[in-house]
Amino acid sequence: MGSSKQDKTLIESKSLHVQIKDTSVLKGLSFRVAKGEIYALLGGNGAGKSTTLKTFLGFNQASSGAAFIDGLDVSSSLASVRKKTAYLPENATLYPHLTAKENVEYFLSLAGLNKSASEIENTFDLVALQKDAWERQLQTYSKGMRQKTAIALAILREAPIFLLDEPTSGLDPVAIDEFNQLVTELASSGATILMVTHDVYGACQVANRIGLLRKGELVGEFEANQNERIDTEVVHAAFAQRQP
Amino acid sequence: MNKHLIREWHFMLRQSYVLVLLLCGFLISSFSVLTGLSEIDSQRETIERLKTADQLDRAEAQDKHNAPGALAYYSFHLTYSAPSNLAFAALGERDIYPWKHRVRMLALEGQIYESDAQNPELAQAGKIDFAFVISALSPLLLILLFHDLFASERASGRHELLVTTTESSFALWGARVVVRLFAIFISLILPFYVGALINNVAMTDVLILSLWCLLYFIFWIALSLLIGRRESSAPRIASILIGFWALFTFVIPILGDLAINQSIHSPQGGEILLTQREAVNDAWDLPVQTTLNAFTATHPEYIGYKHENEGFDWGWYYAFQQVGDQVAEPLSIRYREAALKKHQRASFVTLLSPTLLIQKKMTRLAETDALAAMAYERRIREFHKTLRMTYYPWLFSADKFNKSNLDLLPQFDSTTSGTTYSRKNE
Ligand SMILES: Nc1ncnc2c1ncn2[C@@H]1O[C@H](COP(=O)(O)OP(=O)(O)OP(=O)(O)O)[C@@H](O)[C@H]1O
Ligand SMILES: [Mg+2]
Repeated sequence: MGSSKQDKTLIESKSLHVQIKDTSVLKGLSFRVAKGEIYALLGGNGAGKSTTLKTFLGFNQASSGAAFIDGLDVSSSLASVRKKTAYLPENATLYPHLTAKENVEYFLSLAGLNKSASEIENTFDLVALQKDAWERQLQTYSKGMRQKTAIALAILREAPIFLLDEPTSGLDPVAIDEFNQLVTELASSGATILMVTHDVYGACQVANRIGLLRKGELVGEFEANQNERIDTEVVHAAFAQRQP
Repeated sequence: MNKHLIREWHFMLRQSYVLVLLLCGFLISSFSVLTGLSEIDSQRETIERLKTADQLDRAEAQDKHNAPGALAYYSFHLTYSAPSNLAFAALGERDIYPWKHRVRMLALEGQIYESDAQNPELAQAGKIDFAFVISALSPLLLILLFHDLFASERASGRHELLVTTTESSFALWGARVVVRLFAIFISLILPFYVGALINNVAMTDVLILSLWCLLYFIFWIALSLLIGRRESSAPRIASILIGFWALFTFVIPILGDLAINQSIHSPQGGEILLTQREAVNDAWDLPVQTTLNAFTATHPEYIGYKHENEGFDWGWYYAFQQVGDQVAEPLSIRYREAALKKHQRASFVTLLSPTLLIQKKMTRLAETDALAAMAYERRIREFHKTLRMTYYPWLFSADKFNKSNLDLLPQFDSTTSGTTYSRKNE
């Protein structure tokens, strides 16, 4: 790790074991994400990526080990942990009978946040949600448009920590590029991002570090050199090699 | 807190199925209040009509006849139990127990038990009144509104986002519950308030009834949320809740009724009627003195009464009417004791079912329950007793009867409860 601003660990998994209904889903998972870092947890279907994020949000109990957000043990400081994090769930669904604006306003009010209309509109612009859709009900949206709305909501939460579950799923290539740029900007302005994905290329585009998750275990970590991206070929080889 | 309630209020207004449910609740409740109002109106009208007819009939009889015996025989007296102001909301057992009787100074037991009904303490009333809507139908609306509070969000994948976004549990679930409770409460109770206003129901009664409804709603909501928290499939949650509803609304009342009727043996009303009538009929063939002896055993003050002519005599006639009641009295007492015991057991059963409990609370408040029916029967007995006490001196003692004495006859008063009817001062 490089500069001193990245020294503070904001997300940490310490030999985390999680069981769901008698099956071990996470088996001693350990990694840390420092402030301002983008960490991509890469893994195949069923590797335990979503489970990892949900454990950081207190939806799963660790059978041993622990998950920490900004130094707080998730199992004992759930409320403050949730306040510090913006979560983008897998297949994020908002309310289909509300417009994008209404959805975002609803969730922000739930969080106790007050955002002006212009702030919301700027964020919609930022995630490239087309303007003519802002006042339309979400049931008229495409998958990618719904994803953009959910991303906008996550950004508007103004949380220092982002937990993103397959954020680019459903986005077209242009939108993915824009999203990657957005995430990079967020990180450089101090946000800490843990995203999980099975998209090797996307992960290499944005991540400072990549953890390779396989059957609930971290089987490799890749780190970007200063001002360089992680080599897609290398990661892909590792990812493919370890598939059964 | 306030802003969360306002947000959830607006949010609820956007959910069309919730609005449909609220509208259904409002319509059903309005219908039940209208039913109750018109039923009570017609009962009051009937009573007014009968009161007028009663006066006319009696005046006619008093005009036609001169002997006190004949006057008593041909004079009917209307007794009735006027519905309370709140009765429209809980018709209770007024359509099971009679609330009007025209009685004469003949043997009373037969007159009371002429139209004996069973004692269906726990049976559902036949009419859809407000109490029925609240006790039996509102749980269904509450179940529909609250069973999937969590499950619907889980099923649509929003649960985790909601839970991680909200600043507190109250901001989300608390506010949603409060807003929906408020909305369903208003939609169900508003028609009742209008009915209460029309019928001049006392403010305290309105408040007490509102409080009972609120508690009852909270019970069903709590049950829905409790089960909704544990289960994740909305249809499963709904099935379990409907099971509870059927248990409280049908199973416990029916089993309770069965158990009560099994455990308490009561003479039939028809048996009392028959016993009394047979005693009266038999008296025609018995020696006069036998009847008179039985009569003076309970009315020693008339021991000096002499049976004048050999054949028919009004004194003898009313003596055997009195004796008929005396013969039937043990049965009648057992009947009433059994009825009271059944009522007490039924009160115990209501503790097992919130549905029965709120019905009981409402019919008690509205004075339309079995206790009210028993109190009315006591009033009839008191009235009849006073009637006898007024006529007997004219029939059995040397007191000279003068037609102006008819002013001394008691007037039935529906407002006195279980009181004595004193003869007017002479
Ligand atoms: N609620 C659950 N009940 C039973 N098993 C579960 C549950 N949630 C997750 N699992 C199991 O845990 C394992 C990891 O699931 P998880 O959703 O974390 O995978 P993932 O890496 O996110 O996969 P994907 O790429 O498909 O999203 C899977 O084997 C899954 O079957
Ligand atoms: Mg997943």
